[in-house]
Amino acid sequence: MTIDFLFIWIAFKELLKAAPLTLILTFIPIIFGFLIGVSVAMIRAYNLKLLSPIANAYVSFFRGTPAIMHIMLIYFGIPLLLDILIKYLHLPIQSNSIPIVLFVITALSLTAGSYLSEIIRSGISSVSQGQIEAAYAIGMNTFQVLERIILPQALAQSIPNFTNLIIGFLHTTSIAFLVSQKEITGAANIIASKNLKFLEAFIAAGFLYWIITAIIEWVSYAVEKKAKSYTNSAI
Amino acid sequence: MGKVFDPALIIEFIPTLTKYLGITLEILIYSTILGILIGIVAAIPKLFHIPILKQMITLYISFIRGTPILIQLFLVYYGLPAVLMLWNIDITRMDALYFVIITYSLSNGAIFAEIFRSAISAINYGQTEAAYSIGMTRFQNFYRIIFPQAIRIAFPNISNSIIGSLKDTSLAFTIGVMDMMGRGETLIASTAHALEVYISLAIVYYIVVVILEKVFKISERYLNRYQPNGTATI
Repeated sequence: MTIDFLFIWIAFKELLKAAPLTLILTFIPIIFGFLIGVSVAMIRAYNLKLLSPIANAYVSFFRGTPAIMHIMLIYFGIPLLLDILIKYLHLPIQSNSIPIVLFVITALSLTAGSYLSEIIRSGISSVSQGQIEAAYAIGMNTFQVLERIILPQALAQSIPNFTNLIIGFLHTTSIAFLVSQKEITGAANIIASKNLKFLEAFIAAGFLYWIITAIIEWVSYAVEKKAKSYTNSAI
Repeated sequence: MGKVFDPALIIEFIPTLTKYLGITLEILIYSTILGILIGIVAAIPKLFHIPILKQMITLYISFIRGTPILIQLFLVYYGLPAVLMLWNIDITRMDALYFVIITYSLSNGAIFAEIFRSAISAINYGQTEAAYSIGMTRFQNFYRIIFPQAIRIAFPNISNSIIGSLKDTSLAFTIGVMDMMGRGETLIASTAHALEVYISLAIVYYIVVVILEKVFKISERYLNRYQPNGTATI
């Protein structure tokens, strides 16, 4: 068995067409997850009654189980719930007409939310108490303190963690191929089985992921430099 | 799916699945131990700035951190037999479990190398100077001064990556390993109760992670017992 280098290039060009779906599956869940993460982090930071235990259980469970479980649970669980709902309300739709990609996005959003809430929480706790006291002292209300003082600093502090999470999620999207999504890994699998060149197809996929990772790292480095420009620190 | 959701099956499936927890833990333990060894070997060229080797290690770490574990798994599964074929070694009939352990060891190795390197470089150089000034040798300095402090700094990262690694083992079934997830897949094939199987699997994984977290927390407290306030500084 020899490696067909030309085929790696052909496969790479094919895989580029699958890259948009991978990026959609990476960034849309992170955007939704960010909203979930901020809300959950706030609930836990202010220790709201009733909501706080739910938020704790959510974060603990989603961080404690593999992402593939979340995809599978949503993929098999949501249609079941929807079917009951549809039957109950006599709606003229069917749960199996929903595209699978929506289930993947829902599942990954929930996963992202749990990881992001921890990142945001650690960012918030890195803002010193004195800053918050100073903000209250000049007459800001709780919302202003949050929006103008805590969050900007907490988020700037969290950029390296965000980068790791985005890269982690880019890699997590590869398991979407198990529910037959044609993202990079799924496409590589199809190309590989069509041409019986598994190694070459996965080498091409590996390179593509590697390049995307490098771009994300490079962008995040630039963003971090800008976000932390006010601190005058060496970083 | 096809069949009605039956919550009783969730409890019923758990004992069947936990019989295969051993394989999952076997992958985790072997790949962690081998990963630590690879990590130590890989951290040395970066710490001592050995040319060429250092660049090679950087490339290796960058590749592992830049690609999904699933792709790495497929690359080892399809690539290793092809590479070894050049020396006329035939491993195409080897148990898929070994491919999984090799992949996860290589993946853990890169992550551990970075953890070790950052932990060791986090220690103030004054510590080394102080050790030399009271007449310690290089070796004594390393294992009495640097190592005990580095392990304390590295520990939270090591425990996080072991827990991450446990969750990654759930992908081993894609190349046909009969671990807990693999058994779950066959259960689905035979009973058609997919949701119940995945709920049972999620429960088992969650319990294992919670236990691991507890064990690591206790160990961390033990490692930090000489620290002021008894809390971790990192």
